[in-house]
Amino acid sequence: MSSQLGNVVFIIWRESVEALLVIGILSAWLTHQGAGVGRAKAYLWSGVGAGLVVAVLLGWALVTLGDTLPEETQQAYQATVVLVAAALIVQMVIWMRRHGRTLKRELETSLSEAAAQSSWWGVFVLALIAVAREGSETAIFLYGTLSAGSGSGLLALIGAAAVGFALALATYGLLQLGGRVLSWRVFFRVTEVMLLFLAAALLMTGIGILIDLELLPALTGKLWDTSWLLSDGGTVGGMVSALTGYRARPVGIEVIAFVGYWVVVLWLLSTPRSITATARPTA
Amino acid sequence: MALGSPALVSRLLAGFVAATLVVAATSVPARADDPVFRIEFSDGKMTPQRLDVPANTRFKLELVNSGTTPAEFESVELRKEKVIAPGVTTSMVIKNLDPGEYHFFDDFHLDTPPALLVAK
Repeated sequence: MSSQLGNVVFIIWRESVEALLVIGILSAWLTHQGAGVGRAKAYLWSGVGAGLVVAVLLGWALVTLGDTLPEETQQAYQATVVLVAAALIVQMVIWMRRHGRTLKRELETSLSEAAAQSSWWGVFVLALIAVAREGSETAIFLYGTLSAGSGSGLLALIGAAAVGFALALATYGLLQLGGRVLSWRVFFRVTEVMLLFLAAALLMTGIGILIDLELLPALTGKLWDTSWLLSDGGTVGGMVSALTGYRARPVGIEVIAFVGYWVVVLWLLSTPRSITATARPTA
Repeated sequence: MALGSPALVSRLLAGFVAATLVVAATSVPARADDPVFRIEFSDGKMTPQRLDVPANTRFKLELVNSGTTPAEFESVELRKEKVIAPGVTTSMVIKNLDPGEYHFFDDFHLDTPPALLVAK
């Protein structure tokens, strides 16, 4: 029984953390911009709220509709969601890099208010996708686990679920704290790298589904096997792979996608636009 | 370039709809002559723990959840992830596995040891 409770804590924490990583980093970033981003935070939290609603609806649909939707349609939906989220994260990071340091001043001088306004929609969509994706699984898991429990077991299960979510909130709090304790530059670098790896992981998930749908060729069999070092079939390796895109036995197209992703991202990050490059303070 | 502008979002959504339509139009239903292998989930117990399947050919996995809690078939190696509600039978088609061993597990019951799909 106790191992089951441990599972509940761990699964709720894990499902929440992936969504909270995105939300926490965006929120800390917005906080750092200071004045003028109150509305941006409203977009962020509206996205979270909408994501929760969509998560419950998705969970309900998955349980009740089950197999009435063809497998290919479900996969196409999953692939689209993860690829859109990956693209949004990359775009967000690049946009942060180009505007982050000057955003407050630009907002004060109303230079980029229109651009910022429309960018908040990206914040909204990203929060919605992150919460809906992880939340729908959590909803199914919780619904099923709680409905199977009974008597004192039920209370214990609810308690375990609450502990898992509290741990996730603590993780979120650490992120917020990081933004205050660490220098902005360090915090920015760390979270930027985390987000880019998360986007890589989403891209790899999307590529995997597209291979499965035979919309992309695998190109080769497995190129190498590092599952002796870190298997992506286990709990720890599974989390590493969900947060970084790691594959123990990659096929050709996966290696090309992973390497290509980092080449494109690093290239985009290394070529800031000249206006912001000159306007950026050196300190 | 404005991030996530309404134009971008609508383009992404249009892409989603197009992709869904393409897949729906080209999707091939599971063929009747695909060999079928059955895996049963029961509140953290997977049966069998080791399943021999043919390599380099299409086959169908029938996933049955006979327990009272939801299960999630998950395998990064197989690139598959599927939630199975209690009392539900679902299936997935697997195409062209290289010979080798593939771990899968019930992601909602982590204290269960992973099970193995062996493609020969």
